[in-house]
Amino acid sequence: MSEFQALSEAVLKGDIKTAVAETQAAMDAGANIQDILDTGLIATMDEVGDRFSKGIIFVPQMLRSAKTMQECMKLITPLFQKGGVTSKGKVLIGTVKGDLHDIGKNLVLMMMEGAGFTITDLGVDVTPEKFAQKTQEIEPDIVAMSALLSTTMPSMPLTIEALQNAGVRDKVKIMIGGAPVTDKYAQEIKADAYASDAGSAVTKAKSLMGIS
Amino acid sequence: MNPIDIPTFQPRLKVLSREQVLAIHTAALEILEKTGFRMEHPDALKMLADAGCRVSDDNWVRMPGHLAEQALKSAPRQIALHDQKGNKTMPLVDGNPFYGTGSDTTFTHDLETGQRRRTVLQDIANFAKLVDGLENISFAMSMSNPEDVPIENIYVYAFAEIVKNTNKPIVFISDSGKDIAKIHQIACAVVGGEEEFRRKPFILNYSEAISPLRFPENVMEKLIFCAQKSIPICFPSGSNAGGGAPITLAGAMALGIAENLVGLTVHQMFGKGSPFLFGPNVSTLDMKSTVVSYGCPEWALTQAALADMRDELYGLPIWAYSGASDAKVMDAQAGAEAMFSIITSMLSRCNLIHDNGYLEYGGISSLEMVTMVNELVAMSRFFVQGIPVNEETLALEAIHRVGSVPGSMFLTDDHTFDNFTQAQFIPKLLDRSRYDTWEEEGAQDFYKRCNVEAKRILAEHQVEPKSDEILQAIDKIVQGG
Ligand code: B12
Repeated sequence: MSEFQALSEAVLKGDIKTAVAETQAAMDAGANIQDILDTGLIATMDEVGDRFSKGIIFVPQMLRSAKTMQECMKLITPLFQKGGVTSKGKVLIGTVKGDLHDIGKNLVLMMMEGAGFTITDLGVDVTPEKFAQKTQEIEPDIVAMSALLSTTMPSMPLTIEALQNAGVRDKVKIMIGGAPVTDKYAQEIKADAYASDAGSAVTKAKSLMGIS
Repeated sequence: MNPIDIPTFQPRLKVLSREQVLAIHTAALEILEKTGFRMEHPDALKMLADAGCRVSDDNWVRMPGHLAEQALKSAPRQIALHDQKGNKTMPLVDGNPFYGTGSDTTFTHDLETGQRRRTVLQDIANFAKLVDGLENISFAMSMSNPEDVPIENIYVYAFAEIVKNTNKPIVFISDSGKDIAKIHQIACAVVGGEEEFRRKPFILNYSEAISPLRFPENVMEKLIFCAQKSIPICFPSGSNAGGGAPITLAGAMALGIAENLVGLTVHQMFGKGSPFLFGPNVSTLDMKSTVVSYGCPEWALTQAALADMRDELYGLPIWAYSGASDAKVMDAQAGAEAMFSIITSMLSRCNLIHDNGYLEYGGISSLEMVTMVNELVAMSRFFVQGIPVNEETLALEAIHRVGSVPGSMFLTDDHTFDNFTQAQFIPKLLDRSRYDTWEEEGAQDFYKRCNVEAKRILAEHQVEPKSDEILQAIDKIVQGG
């Protein structure tokens, strides 16, 4: 196993204190930052995701691991800019206009963060214009939309249209989800991906980015 | 000399002690006083501030407990829902349970093909008509979020369609102050004017605050409209354990009740004495699937607990759910989960009990499920009636007759003939036939029998029609006239 065995185990367990201490120790020992991130943290979160989808662990355990990772990230992110370390991709996410459901969206957001994506969250009731404007501003790789109501689903194609009008549609991948949303609907409105839950959202996002 | 009648004990479920009730209530008040909530409706905010709440930046309100206590006192203890003919068919008070369907599902199971498909306006008509024809289903909801009507007006279309297909009371959804006004107009048209409607309301609005502790403007618009027009309303929030609320049921209930008390307080400020159906939705978030469950024991338990809180403290009729499932088809799981919530909600005497006929945690509506629920409610009612103990039912004479005469049997005794229809539960769809008969009749399982029965009702049941005048008035309102 990797040189980050102890770190890895702490993240798996969601033991924040030990994980942070292990990260610090690795840094003090001069380990490569990218290695700590890739092998110590993200690979472990992949394992966490895998255990979750196999039903070995439950959501709170998974989220605790994600939180543990976040705490470790706090130590290493300041060094990123200098060393030019990359994240898996930038994601802009929000619940569409007229819709106030946010628990599912937040779960997707946390899982993606755990998997190494950088997230910007626009919250709920996000207008197409707002999505477009923020896309222009931060240039995300993926725009992710959540809708829990069949009455707010049409906000999704409207948002895609707004992205088009803003000239940024082709610069991003669009991913959608939420209880009434289906794969078929995603195809109809020409979104790039649909996922039925937070776990598969991560898998889909990775494949959109061309990473396995 | 006649013996003194022995009153029949009717089994009743209790899940909370008085201490527990008081502790949850106190916690709810503490949430309002210490944590507070976000009120996004300017008029409501002003009312709350004037009444003595502390309002800080960001529309954040901290509310003294006595305001909630006051509102609890002024809201009526009985909500008398009428049918559309003016009969008081649903007196929502203390121990009266009434079962009905649910609202917006994305999908339904097609009665002919069995396929899961998007819902359309015709499905609303079918569900309403089925409800009209089922004796144990007391009120109708849309059961569908139809894809073939203009989205801006979806709830008006839905409501009009229900009205055209049943005369039972209706629980309805609306989006904001705009469409609810139209729905109210339709309701008034049906009963012949606003005054008549106030006296004999047949509709109840289902609006929701946003857990945790957020009260959006459009939601409050509906609440205030109902308060002013005396339209009965329920105001549950989504305080699901682990999702919108803490994972532990006591905390989830306290939060949901706190949110309900905010709704009630504002409601009573805008319409003192207007009818308010109490109670949050406290289900649980499944930690594997991340689904909010509609078949879990947690929800059955929290609404039983709420019924105890009603009895001990609040006195207001309560909102509840049952007859729903997380199963994707109407299978054994669906039957088990449906019955669990039906019998517990009845044993604890919840009042207005919705969502009967849901599958896939509220994703699919099923005509067969509703038909099944009708039978399960009958079965539960029989149980809850208890065992009358008196001279006739103790049947000592019959026992003596049959016991003392060799060769005689109860089956042929007059006592059996006289009593069997009341003494027995007589199922309609639950199958007790002998194996050979069952096989000869097509070896149908319960699902299939419910399917056949739902089809039969839709084909044969006649809904007492509304006059052309009323129908025209409805269409005019729907079209925006
Ligand atoms: C909780 C809840 C609420 C809460 C929301 C609180 C909050 N802070 O979010 C409250 C009470 C506020 C609420 C309000 C309403 N609700 Co609601 N609500 C629910 C409920 C019970 C659970 C939703 C939930 O949180 N699930 C848990 C999360 C974790 O799951 P999820 O949201 O499905 O998300 C997962 C996936 O869908 C996916 N996903 C989600 N988003 C995304 C995005 C991307 C990019 C991807 C890839 C994946 C993805 O991954 C997530 C995690 O695994 C559902 C029924 C149900 N069982 O689903 C109804 C439900 C969604 N609500 C419904 C309705 C009708 C309403 C109201 C209109 C009711 C009313 N009378 O006012 C209002 C509308 C308010 C508004 N304008 O938005 C209907 C929708 C029907 C429809 N077809 O349109 C449902 C289905 C219930 C029903 N059958 O009637 N609701």
